[in-house]
Amino acid sequence: MTITRSLVSVVDDDESIRESLPDLLKEFGYAARTFSSAEEFLGSDCVDKTRCLMLDIGMPGMTGPDLQRELKLRGQPIPIVFITALRDEAIRKRLLEEGAVECLFKPFSDTALLEALNAALRVN
Amino acid sequence: MEVQRETPEEQIKRLQRCINDLVSVLALPAMWSGSEPTQIVDRLLDALLGMLQLDLVYLRVNGPASEVPIEAVRVAPSNEGMPQPEDLCKTITQWLGDDPQKWPSRLQAVIGDGNISIVPSRLGLHGHIGVIVAGSERADFPCQTESLLLSVAANQVVIGLQEARLLSEQKRIASELDRRVAQRTAELAQANEALHLQVALLQKLPVATWTVDPDGTPDFVNQSWLEYTGQTLEFVRSNAEAWMTAVHPEDRGAAVRSFWEGIRSGQGFTMESRFRRAHDGAYRWHLNRAVPLQDGQGKVLRFVGTSTDIEDVKRSQENLQRTEERTRLIIDTALDAVITMDVKGVITSWNKQAEIVFGWSNSEAIGEHLSEMIIPERQRAAHERGLRHFLATGEGPVLRRRIQVTAVRRNGAEFPVELEIVPMRLGSDWVFSSFIRDITDSKRAEEKLRESEFNLRQLTETIPEMLWSATPEGVIDYCNARVLDYTGFLAEEIMGDGWMRLLHPDDIGETTRVWMSCVRNGAPYRVEVRTFHAADLTYRWCITRALPLRDQQGRILKWHGTIVDMHDWKRAQEELRNTQAELAHMARVMTMGELTASIAHEINQPLSGIITNAGTCLRMLAADPPNVDGARETARRTIRDGNRASDVITRLRALFTKKDSSTESVDLNEATREVIALSSTTLQKNKVILGLELADDLPFVTGDRVQLQQVIVNLLANASDAMSTVDDRPRKLLIKTEQDEGDGVRLTVQDAGVGFDPQTADRLFDPFYSTKDDGMGIGLSVSRSIIESHRGRLWAAPNDGPGATFSFSVPGSPAAPAIPDNIRAIQKPAVTRMVRENP
Repeated sequence: MTITRSLVSVVDDDESIRESLPDLLKEFGYAARTFSSAEEFLGSDCVDKTRCLMLDIGMPGMTGPDLQRELKLRGQPIPIVFITALRDEAIRKRLLEEGAVECLFKPFSDTALLEALNAALRVN
Repeated sequence: MEVQRETPEEQIKRLQRCINDLVSVLALPAMWSGSEPTQIVDRLLDALLGMLQLDLVYLRVNGPASEVPIEAVRVAPSNEGMPQPEDLCKTITQWLGDDPQKWPSRLQAVIGDGNISIVPSRLGLHGHIGVIVAGSERADFPCQTESLLLSVAANQVVIGLQEARLLSEQKRIASELDRRVAQRTAELAQANEALHLQVALLQKLPVATWTVDPDGTPDFVNQSWLEYTGQTLEFVRSNAEAWMTAVHPEDRGAAVRSFWEGIRSGQGFTMESRFRRAHDGAYRWHLNRAVPLQDGQGKVLRFVGTSTDIEDVKRSQENLQRTEERTRLIIDTALDAVITMDVKGVITSWNKQAEIVFGWSNSEAIGEHLSEMIIPERQRAAHERGLRHFLATGEGPVLRRRIQVTAVRRNGAEFPVELEIVPMRLGSDWVFSSFIRDITDSKRAEEKLRESEFNLRQLTETIPEMLWSATPEGVIDYCNARVLDYTGFLAEEIMGDGWMRLLHPDDIGETTRVWMSCVRNGAPYRVEVRTFHAADLTYRWCITRALPLRDQQGRILKWHGTIVDMHDWKRAQEELRNTQAELAHMARVMTMGELTASIAHEINQPLSGIITNAGTCLRMLAADPPNVDGARETARRTIRDGNRASDVITRLRALFTKKDSSTESVDLNEATREVIALSSTTLQKNKVILGLELADDLPFVTGDRVQLQQVIVNLLANASDAMSTVDDRPRKLLIKTEQDEGDGVRLTVQDAGVGFDPQTADRLFDPFYSTKDDGMGIGLSVSRSIIESHRGRLWAAPNDGPGATFSFSVPGSPAAPAIPDNIRAIQKPAVTRMVRENP
């Protein structure tokens, strides 16, 4: 019997996040995939498999919220944890209202990340 | 006649009887003395009838020619066959006939039953007095004695009658005398009463009355005089001129002269003089008149006179004269030609102005027909018709009101006049007064005025602007067609107070207040007010303005106003203001918000990597067995991210210190004004009272104009924010520029805000140090970097009172070129460039 790890996809244009976050996620026991843009994620084969999406807000091209709306339109409501370097409570509030599980301001602690992931998977 | 002889005894007896009878007859007058003739006749007849035993006796006495004769008849009572006395009288008269001379001495007649002898006896010598007729049936009648008796009786009765007649005449005279005496007595009594009445009348006459002796001495003065003058009768009589003490001193000389002249000439006098009234000392005018009373030879017996009080008459006369004079003056000086005309249309008066207007003199005009003098020929018939119509009916449509007609002057020129004819009844006739004014000039002026009014009206109606006017009291009295077109209201709906309907309900109160205030103090009126726009049924912003038109004394005659639709402009202005606010906000966010956010973003990315890697590293090392390779890799990434963060800060510093930033000569005053213009909306919104003290002749500085302005914007924004919670004092903000020591230029921003703790003054400029909840602590740090890059200094100091003062000082340009005004104007858009160029 093969145990399949839950897939967490990370979409962020910042390289340090794409480098550092998958290692930590693997330490937590998740499978991780990284994408530098929303378009790349949508074009991959991970959309259906992703159990939680770690999503940056401000990105060149399609932004995080754009991707959130797109997924909703496609009928693929993947639980989303936004991660942003811009500390703006108003935006965070709006995103949560739109259905995001959590919105973490960078830099965030590993425990905050773990809580958000647990919350996201509970939704599933 | 004696048939038989008598015996002597018989003869004596008969004679005796005869003598008795004679005595009786002779005694008769004694009996009838004093009696009336009829009584005498009656007695005589009775005596004869008995004495002579007659059957009848008749007597007639002729009176004076005018009187009816007295007739009487007696018949013996024994003779019953006698006719009635009246018939007997007639019969006897017939027998006798008219002529006494032809009467028979005796005749036989048949009367009644028997034959009677009748004897007439004449009364008076020729029977002219009358007759006595005696008759007896005896045949021997009359005997001798009887004839004698009859004859004596006849004489006696004549005497008796004559006596009676005499007596009666005497009586008549006496009674006539008595009557006359009585009549005279009555007359005298009456005269006496009249005299009393006259005297009383004289005394009480309300006119002073007096008589004067021929020598001039007063003889009588009545009560009225005495009461009026207070003089006594004795005083008046004391000497001729005593009464003159009552004459007014000014009139006395003339009065004395007239008086004596009238007395001496015997002609009397008439003069006027003032007499003093005793009870109030007033002098009143009197008319004194004296006439002479003369006897048959023309000798003067007395002078009779009166003094009549004519004060009131005189005064009313004077008043009348004065009134007449005044009326004449008024009419002569009247601006109107005043002409009166009688019912025939003949001019009866013609004043000075009429002479001037028509060219005919007063003497030429009076007596002429009005129509021929002043009415154009073609209208004369109508004038005559109108006059006749009025006289017949009492109606005149042109009377008693001002009408405009054409009149003609002496030289034949026709001209317009304003005319009013007023008919007045004078006794039984009418008089017509005409008041005529030459309106040639006013007509011309009126036409000109009308023309200019027309032009003005055309101008105001065709000018493509909304115009209106109001009275000095602020009541709208005119709007041109543009106003009506724009608002869709009728003129009468707007007039007066109706203009308020044009305004947005929220604007009525304030607009009315401003308008009434301007009306009161004459200040120019200017409001921005939402006005109803009929075309799209909306209210649009308009500027309504008005200025007062004043007369030479400065009194307001009129308000003239305009309404200009500025809705689009106002909207644009609002948008501009919003944009400006946004720009200012952007500028501020750029320097404080977005800038710090972008800095935060730049730094948070590597920080996030560092933390994540460090966390992963720890977990890998804590694993069993430890994942040392993984930990090494993550530790390496941590170092790399730390360097990245350091690079961000370095890059940030380089951004404000880069040497290739533009350098130019900057007028700090000008740059400050631009910043203020950009910030003014925000400052006003925050109720900041801005004070500006910009030094003259400030040296230019060399540097990046936009960066320096960013610093100023920062300082202003900080100052404004520091005062945002201040409500107990004015939010005063002072911006000052001045020349610093040496060639430096200093700019100071002083606020009255919350201030800062002096102990933390040094840390204010550290990055990420902020006293504000939403502050990042970047602005002042960056500002200090900018100023230092300009080789200047930025510092802060607490105020003595509330608030803080931030200042920077930068070196001035050694040789600042004089920049012409036009070039400076071109430089202004630099402010917006600042916004655009900022990342």
